[in-house]
Amino acid sequence: MAMQDIKPTRSELINIKRKIKLSERGYNILKMKRDGLILEFFGVLDEAKNTRGELQKKYQLAKEMIALSNTIEGTISLKAAAFSVKETPEISVKPKNVMGVVVPEITSKKVRKQLLERGYGLLGTSPVLDETANAYESLVDSVVRSAEIETTMKKLLDEIESTKRRVNALEYRVIPELTEARDFIKMRLDEMEREELFRLKKIKARTAA
Amino acid sequence: MTATFGPSPYIYVCTRLRVRKKKLILREEYMRMLHMGLPEITRLIQETEYKREIDELSTSFSGINLLELALSWNLAKSYQNVLKILPAGLKEMTSSYLRRWDIQNVLTILRGKEQKLKPGRIKEVLIPAGELDRTFLDRLIAMDSNDEIVEALKGWRLFRTLESEYQKVPEVGSFAQMENVLYRQFYAEIIRDAESGIKGGKEFLDFIQLDIDIRNLQNLLRIRLQGERAEISDYMIPGGSFTVEELSGLNKIEERGEFYERLEKSLKNRAFIGFVERLKSSETKAEEERRLEESQVALTRIQLAQMERMSKMHPFSIWPILAYLELKKFEIYNLRAITRGKEANLPMERIRNYLVI
Repeated sequence: MAMQDIKPTRSELINIKRKIKLSERGYNILKMKRDGLILEFFGVLDEAKNTRGELQKKYQLAKEMIALSNTIEGTISLKAAAFSVKETPEISVKPKNVMGVVVPEITSKKVRKQLLERGYGLLGTSPVLDETANAYESLVDSVVRSAEIETTMKKLLDEIESTKRRVNALEYRVIPELTEARDFIKMRLDEMEREELFRLKKIKARTAA
Repeated sequence: MTATFGPSPYIYVCTRLRVRKKKLILREEYMRMLHMGLPEITRLIQETEYKREIDELSTSFSGINLLELALSWNLAKSYQNVLKILPAGLKEMTSSYLRRWDIQNVLTILRGKEQKLKPGRIKEVLIPAGELDRTFLDRLIAMDSNDEIVEALKGWRLFRTLESEYQKVPEVGSFAQMENVLYRQFYAEIIRDAESGIKGGKEFLDFIQLDIDIRNLQNLLRIRLQGERAEISDYMIPGGSFTVEELSGLNKIEERGEFYERLEKSLKNRAFIGFVERLKSSETKAEEERRLEESQVALTRIQLAQMERMSKMHPFSIWPILAYLELKKFEIYNLRAITRGKEANLPMERIRNYLVI
């Protein structure tokens, strides 16, 4: 805020004081929000670390199981068994509010199936197929969970970043500039008051002489 | 060929198949392959009798998929060739034995059509090693609906079962029940054929009983390990040394220790003792599951050993034919296991565990 644009009037001073009060209140609230978000973020971060680790483990297991199935059963039998899958997993996304941040809540259906619900017969297949199907169902579950956690984490990070920018802007720019303007007006008003007093004294002295 | 219709058709056929058996890959060669890299193995396979199929398929496929498909095509061709040289009685018995492949192919076509897959994709996963040859299966794939496919299978021996089960599919929602019923019927027919007075049929019944026992035990343990407590009689094959009721009763035992104890007590075939003991000693569920997977190979080895023994004891019977069919199948499985295992960078020891040598 350039000082020459400021009108050194009482009403402007009142206005600026009101703005300072508002900015300080906003600053405190945003700081609390930022701290709250950071706290929330660290909670999610721990969960994300766990789910990411779990996802990696499950991915490794699924890869190992498919390699094993290909080795024991062969790709042809595996593909033929895959033809029996009729129901594909369903994913639904609902919005969830975390301290004003809208994050997704992802739920999945028909991912995990019981052995007898998978669509392939027991008499024409082998146990390694069950284990492979189990590993992949578990992996899909983990992917869904990870997607929810990691999107939440990303959204929280974005929000923390923008809140931090707002807090910094208020702390280092808006409030100091307003305080400076307030001090300037105060100084100008005091100066004007002193000038007025001096002028009055001068007039009084001249009238007395 | 006239010899096959003479008084001793067994001598002609069994001798020919014994010669073919001699041409199968030996244990030492598998061991050598285990030490080779994937390109070397591929080249070695290309230089053997699989060359023709590899050349035929190389325009549409490449890499390890080409190899696997070529192996399966060769298996189908070998089986069809065996069927061609068999005299009537033996042919019927062998066709019955190979009907397992027909069931697999028919179900794959029905499932593929249900999923509206392109004919090419369905064709890729068929192994026409049974009675229904490639031309017939191609005709089935080209049909528009499953109703037409089922109708076209009217002359097939399992048609009645297929037709009645097909009608239940919309109600059940999948082909799983149909698959189970078809395999149960397959075993029922094979038992009937073995009892029809064929030479070596009595011993063959013992073999089938062993096969049924292996499948029943594996499926019983699969169901238990997956936490299913449903009625299992529909998933068990009658005709083994365990009755379906016995197996159903075993599945009702909740406690793991008690289950294995009862199972051990009711084992009539000594070949299973080691298998059950290994599973029983597993400390975790994951270990139990892994051992069940590995047991498949161990049980197959027992089966093959019995087959070999019987084919030596009965040199001119159904045994040498079945022994060749099984050994040829496991040659394909072994080559596939080695190539796929190498592709997935599985340790050599682990691949060796999955070889049926």
